Amino acid sequence: MSEAAIEFRRASRWYGQVIALNDVTTTISPGVTGLLGPNGAGKSTLLKLAAGQLAPSQGEVTILGQAAWGSPEIFHRVGLCPEPDAFWDGLTGRQFLLALLRLTGYDEAERRARADQALALVDLEDAAGRKVGGYSKGMRQRLKLAQALAHEPEVLLLDEPLSGMDPVSRRRVMDLVKKLGREGKTVVVSSHILHEIESMTRRVLLIHNGRILAAGDSRELRDLMDEHPHTVSLRARDPRALARSVVSSPHVLSLAFGSEGEWVTVQTARPDEFYSALPEAAIEAGVLEMYSPDEDLESVFKYLVAR
Amino acid sequence: MRDTSRPLPFARAAGGVFDLTLDGLVWSRRTFWMAALLGLPVVFGVLYRMVLASRLPPQLQPFDLYGTIVVFYYLRNLVPLAALFYASALVADEVEAKTLTYLLTRPVTRGAILVGKFAAYLVTVLCVTLPAVVLTFFIVLTGGGSHSVSAAVPDLFRDLAVLAAGLLVYGALFTLLGVALRRPILPGLLFLFVWELLANLPGYLPRLTVTAYLRSLVTHRPAEEGIGELFGQVLPASLCLEMLAGMTVVFLGAAIWIFSTREYVFDQ
Repeated sequence: MSEAAIEFRRASRWYGQVIALNDVTTTISPGVTGLLGPNGAGKSTLLKLAAGQLAPSQGEVTILGQAAWGSPEIFHRVGLCPEPDAFWDGLTGRQFLLALLRLTGYDEAERRARADQALALVDLEDAAGRKVGGYSKGMRQRLKLAQALAHEPEVLLLDEPLSGMDPVSRRRVMDLVKKLGREGKTVVVSSHILHEIESMTRRVLLIHNGRILAAGDSRELRDLMDEHPHTVSLRARDPRALARSVVSSPHVLSLAFGSEGEWVTVQTARPDEFYSALPEAAIEAGVLEMYSPDEDLESVFKYLVAR
Repeated sequence: MRDTSRPLPFARAAGGVFDLTLDGLVWSRRTFWMAALLGLPVVFGVLYRMVLASRLPPQLQPFDLYGTIVVFYYLRNLVPLAALFYASALVADEVEAKTLTYLLTRPVTRGAILVGKFAAYLVTVLCVTLPAVVLTFFIVLTGGGSHSVSAAVPDLFRDLAVLAAGLLVYGALFTLLGVALRRPILPGLLFLFVWELLANLPGYLPRLTVTAYLRSLVTHRPAEEGIGELFGQVLPASLCLEMLAGMTVVFLGAAIWIFSTREYVFDQ
């Protein structure tokens, strides 16, 4: 078992009456860890505590063996990609990196080399001489990532790093994160989208309402989701025929007609079997459209909390 | 070889922050407007030489006019206002722009960040203020002949030193307000235009102000200075220097302490 790079010991954080993180005890080891939770779950608070930007109201948070709060020296070995889309817009991409590398203690020659290397990693070499104020959202995201990577930290904390990126950049960043994890770096990446996290790692920390609900393999989460009663909405030319066809299935828990008449909403305890049986019914009733609102992570969390 | 077991040396870190901040301050809209305000006496001086000098009563000597500009326009109003608008924003601007995180996630102490920013403020305002005063001096006084100019040059140097001291001590005070309060401008204005009026009262009350010490260091005191003159509130120069130095150290030290212990993430 590898040594924990980040450790939360009974850590809580509240703002006035609001609890943002509640009695969290967990460790994060080298490799990529996905921090998964809906908006407002406490992901950013957890990352800010780990990055020493907030002090725990109670408990302890350590990173690389040192208290995260009040230890600026850890930033020789830690990189943070913050969520806000904020820059000194008057600087060029290269100047931005050079200024921050100077504050990380590198001499001029090494600053230049590292800045160029980081810009290449995020595919921004061509835009390096342009002012950041003129960058697109995706380019700004990549520049934020570059500043977190430029000093080759052992621990990388990435707060929603894929937000606003185009599909090609997303793919590239996902590959980069996986590569860093394989190299033995500790990468914590937050997202509210399971699919994004699964593309980078199987190791997830599930967070909801300031609590760690589960820590483990993302496949277990998938299994939980599959056990979770699924709601499926179907639009059909003949909704009554569809209802007759599916209601006989032993796995259907409930069935309701939508207000517009064309929609049928079915709740099933065995989604796999339901989906297997669906094509036949769909042909008979002429299913035009289908979606599962349960793919929304929030509903899965509600389900997990209620268990 | 970098020592990664401790933060960067203080001076090196402050130097990095200084350069980064100076670049942003010099080319800011704030500096443009402040330079315009600080340069107004230069325009007035030109106007005085071209039009007003011949029309004003002969009792109003160029040196008196220059002294009035230094004491009332610069020392009493523009210098404290420049300090308020620059120094109180040193951290607040980073918080508002959400860029403070980049500085706080580097291996540098927060004290070095604040000192680097304060130094950048000081250099910026000195570079904007002092040339304007020098220009005003020469434009206004050369009307009285070169003899009057050379005789007044020591006063010019003293004025420049007092204005620099004003920018230093007010800057430290408003840096403190800027890190301690979410909205420092109104308390700052109240301090400048209400509290500082104590300088005009008798007894020990003027000693509770900043302006009394600064004003006492200016030798060419215009007769129209106010009721403070009636009470003879000219404090000893040594006391003024000690108090101004002490206030700068205390204000800046308190600002560093607050900045080092406060969380800024959720202000962003």
